[in-house]
Amino acid sequence: MPFLSHGSYRIRYELDGPADAPAYVLVNGLTQYAELWAAYRDALIARGFRVATFDLLGQGESDKPALFISQDDQVTALHLLIQQLGNGPVFLSGISFGGLIALRYAIAHGDRLAGLVPMSCFAELPPQLFLLGNALRTGLILGGTSYLQDLLLPMNVSDHWLAPVLDKLDSVKRQGWLVNDVYALQNLMESFLDFQPLTPQLASIGVPTMILNGEFDFLTPRALHETLRVRIPNSSLVIIPRAYHAFTLEKPALTADLLARFADDVLAGRWHGNKAVWIAPEEAGGDLVPFPAGYDHLRAVPVHGAVT
Amino acid sequence: MSAFFGPLESDRRVPARQQTRVASFLISAHGALGRRFALALPVRLESAWQTELNAQFYNESEIISLLLRATSWTPDLALGYLAAAWETAWFPSPAEGIPDPSLALAVDLAALAHAVHAGIRPAALLPAEANPNDPFAMALRRVEFESGRLLQAQIMFLKGESLVPFRDAVSAALERRHAEVRRLWREMLESVGISRDENDAKP
Repeated sequence: MPFLSHGSYRIRYELDGPADAPAYVLVNGLTQYAELWAAYRDALIARGFRVATFDLLGQGESDKPALFISQDDQVTALHLLIQQLGNGPVFLSGISFGGLIALRYAIAHGDRLAGLVPMSCFAELPPQLFLLGNALRTGLILGGTSYLQDLLLPMNVSDHWLAPVLDKLDSVKRQGWLVNDVYALQNLMESFLDFQPLTPQLASIGVPTMILNGEFDFLTPRALHETLRVRIPNSSLVIIPRAYHAFTLEKPALTADLLARFADDVLAGRWHGNKAVWIAPEEAGGDLVPFPAGYDHLRAVPVHGAVT
Repeated sequence: MSAFFGPLESDRRVPARQQTRVASFLISAHGALGRRFALALPVRLESAWQTELNAQFYNESEIISLLLRATSWTPDLALGYLAAAWETAWFPSPAEGIPDPSLALAVDLAALAHAVHAGIRPAALLPAEANPNDPFAMALRRVEFESGRLLQAQIMFLKGESLVPFRDAVSAALERRHAEVRRLWREMLESVGISRDENDAKP
């Protein structure tokens, strides 16, 4: 198990696939760990990519700083990992908190990226997300990691995913509970206490960007992704049907297919973001369709909207 | 070596030898915290923050009482010298770089408590198949859960405004206490056939 060094801290990472292939770097969300990308690793390697995964500082097998973890440190750790990949094309994708770290990286080191895929992501903390984040942090403090998982699971995945595992949730949660410590998760969540919106800097992201948002994501709803779409020049927003916040866990085949197609399009010079809004297929390999013209993609009912 | 307790007894309980040594370590560490909180606790409270001292003292006492009663004890000749090493490590050691001696001692106590409450996860040693009716297993879950709550006082103090000018000194004290507690915990676990992940191998 290789580790990168950042000061006195160690970051656990893994590289798989051919060393000379275009690379995908995948960044975890809160309470996640690198092994959760296993299906993506296999699918993307089969499509000709190299795949880099790692545990964020404070999570999994990476070191857990005792009192403070800054988001700048996470970006530095990510930079160290990307430096391991040589000079070939690098595509960066992250989910939720990991998406935010990916955005920060793209702002700071965009020239090193061939493409960016923020998923279930946000650049600012409007009141609902701020209060939800505070409530989740309080849940962690009062009830521990297990209770935080209890709160996150029904928010993040669908009834369809939950129903078959409802009588074995403890085993579903166990690995995440084992590798995550209360104080370290709390430090990660408290890295938002001095959070400044990234919105004014989004326009500086010049790389092709595909923004993925679950249709039913109420933790980071459409409006937060809309900010990314409107501000990032060469971007498209892709809505994942019937998906919630953690669609990367629930729909790995579809999501990995979208990642591979995006990178293929960018490398072939076919990608044109155009700030378009698309609807992803229900299954991997299906066609993306444009969001119906004239309707407002920010609404849950078919309302005619202004074009932006 | 395994990352978990075991092999479990036929009734899926943790072997008495492992129970004895792990409980002894936890009683030593939480006992040291309880003693230091007791010494810091005035007979009559004069400030609101001292109510937390009272809570910490009684919660540490509860953890010790619970472990004393829930553990299946067995004779362990090594405990004599092990306990001496543990108790020596818990001695007060004022944080360097903080000129006020009482504040330096308070930072050290909070750093030690943070290391014990945050860095030691006894329930994570229980294999998935452990007997849920084993009082020792339940005690470990309770110790870990309560530690997460007790930890909040240390986090608030160590991250608080009063220590902002001494952030480097606080971080150094905290890292030192974490490393020390992690090492002793790892060595004790290895002595009963339990080896945690590579991350714990960090000095």
